[in-house]
Amino acid sequence: MRRELVAWLAFIAIAALLPLALASDPYLMLLANVMLMFMALALSWDVVARTGQLSLAHGAFFGLGAYTVAIGHKYAALPPLAGLAVAGVVGAIVAVALGGVTLRLRGIYFAIATLAFGEVLRTVALQVPDVTGGTIGISMPPLFGGDRVASYYLAGAIFLLALALSLGVRYTRAHYAVTAIRTNEAVAAVMGVPVVLTKVLTFVTAAVIATLAGAFYMPFITHTDPHDAFEVSRSVAALAFPIFGGIYTSVGPVIGTVVLRSLEEYLRVTPPWKEGYQVVYGAVIVLAVLFMPRGLVGLASRMRARLSRRPEARIPILGSGR
Amino acid sequence: MSALLEAHGLVRRFRGLAAVDGLSFSVEEGQSLAIIGPNGAGKTTAFNLVSGLLAPNAGRITFRGRDVTGVRAHERCRMGLGRTFQVVQPFAELDVLGNVMVGALFGGGAASVAGARAEALRLCDMVGLGPKALWPVGGLTVPDRKRLELARALATKPALLLLDEVMEGLTPAEEREAVGLLHRIRADGVTLLLIEHVMSTVRDLSDRVLVMDYGKPIAEGTYAEVSRDPNVIAAYLGSEEATA
Repeated sequence: MRRELVAWLAFIAIAALLPLALASDPYLMLLANVMLMFMALALSWDVVARTGQLSLAHGAFFGLGAYTVAIGHKYAALPPLAGLAVAGVVGAIVAVALGGVTLRLRGIYFAIATLAFGEVLRTVALQVPDVTGGTIGISMPPLFGGDRVASYYLAGAIFLLALALSLGVRYTRAHYAVTAIRTNEAVAAVMGVPVVLTKVLTFVTAAVIATLAGAFYMPFITHTDPHDAFEVSRSVAALAFPIFGGIYTSVGPVIGTVVLRSLEEYLRVTPPWKEGYQVVYGAVIVLAVLFMPRGLVGLASRMRARLSRRPEARIPILGSGR
Repeated sequence: MSALLEAHGLVRRFRGLAAVDGLSFSVEEGQSLAIIGPNGAGKTTAFNLVSGLLAPNAGRITFRGRDVTGVRAHERCRMGLGRTFQVVQPFAELDVLGNVMVGALFGGGAASVAGARAEALRLCDMVGLGPKALWPVGGLTVPDRKRLELARALATKPALLLLDEVMEGLTPAEEREAVGLLHRIRADGVTLLLIEHVMSTVRDLSDRVLVMDYGKPIAEGTYAEVSRDPNVIAAYLGSEEATA
């Protein structure tokens, strides 16, 4: 535990100093902003996954956050930071309602219900153009007057919330609750674990973080519309990054975001891949899921085990008992 | 009335088939009860109703004087109702100690993770898993898995412990060891409600025996009484036991 916390402090220190090196390059600063935002999305999705629930609503909460800020700006001249705070509250309320209804569903049924939620929001956004601007969407002036260093620290604050949630669930009694629920809900319940409450709390907290990420993104890119806000690919990214990096960990979602986001960006702008970059990107994810169970983190620990393999180290695993 | 647990007219149907059909019984504090009966008699369904994993179609359950029929499983556990499963299902992603800690933290109300760890270590020692506390559960043998199942249930600090065939798969020597352990648990003030096929265990550990067949109670009394009951002999014990 201590070693992991020290490593995170080092990571945070480096990330805090990063603008010193990148501030002169607006493209790299843009990437750094978006990277932190996706890390928050990936970390919070992973916390829901730890209870055994595969959520496809993360992108929808992101869009909800974007629209809350946009509508607040359009109708109440709400400044971005105030909009962000309101979005957090809206996200929590919607998540309690959605979680209360869907968290009794398991596996594929929960996944489909959460996927449908995004489609409902998109349809609503299209059907009430007077409020949402319809297909055209809503624009607002750039966050912090376009200062990408300032917005980087705001994204960093949201990232820190997500990291605190992820580490908090790992190193407190919550770890035992979510792991037990993921393995066997019935057994967890008869051992006293409040199954529904645990699932609702993790889902709501994670959804608030996703909403905040969207509430950051909207004024950062200055525009939102139904197709961009409720893009399914964002829900997919929220789960692909942790799965690629290493599910049920804190380091996995962060590494997964860095590697996959960088790869996606590289393919998108590099000539031979440019046209079909999404095909290559998809293939990488498919191969990773097939050949790297537990992602990069799992790969690293298997390699470490192989390097330090001693015969006695295997005994407890094969253990023939008494 | 000082009954710890009372079941009144429990009915549970699965697609029209009544697995439990009008089951009533009570367990007095300190008076251990064994439920026996042929396979399919509804014993495990009765346990699922009592522990709150299933809701009855009819009937009522009171525990410690409170109607718990609508109380959820985890709350019943916190009230002091612990159970083990016939098919042991350890949490594969936690080690032995972590499995026991789940019970201590949530059912047993441990104030901190450190406190739960200390309690879990004590229980691992008690059931004979002390040296294996940090093992992954995948490496445990059948008797060790039964020990873990017992330690996990004890960690929830039960007043009433439901044991679903804890002796299954044990050798006679291991059985004797387990019976000794359960005697110690009883001596600590835990009342036992057990489903058991091993007759010597039933005789050793229970004050009273309830016999079920086709979801209904068909006899109740001491071990000696029920083993002479002609209904029981016909339904369950068979000629082999009757002549023994």
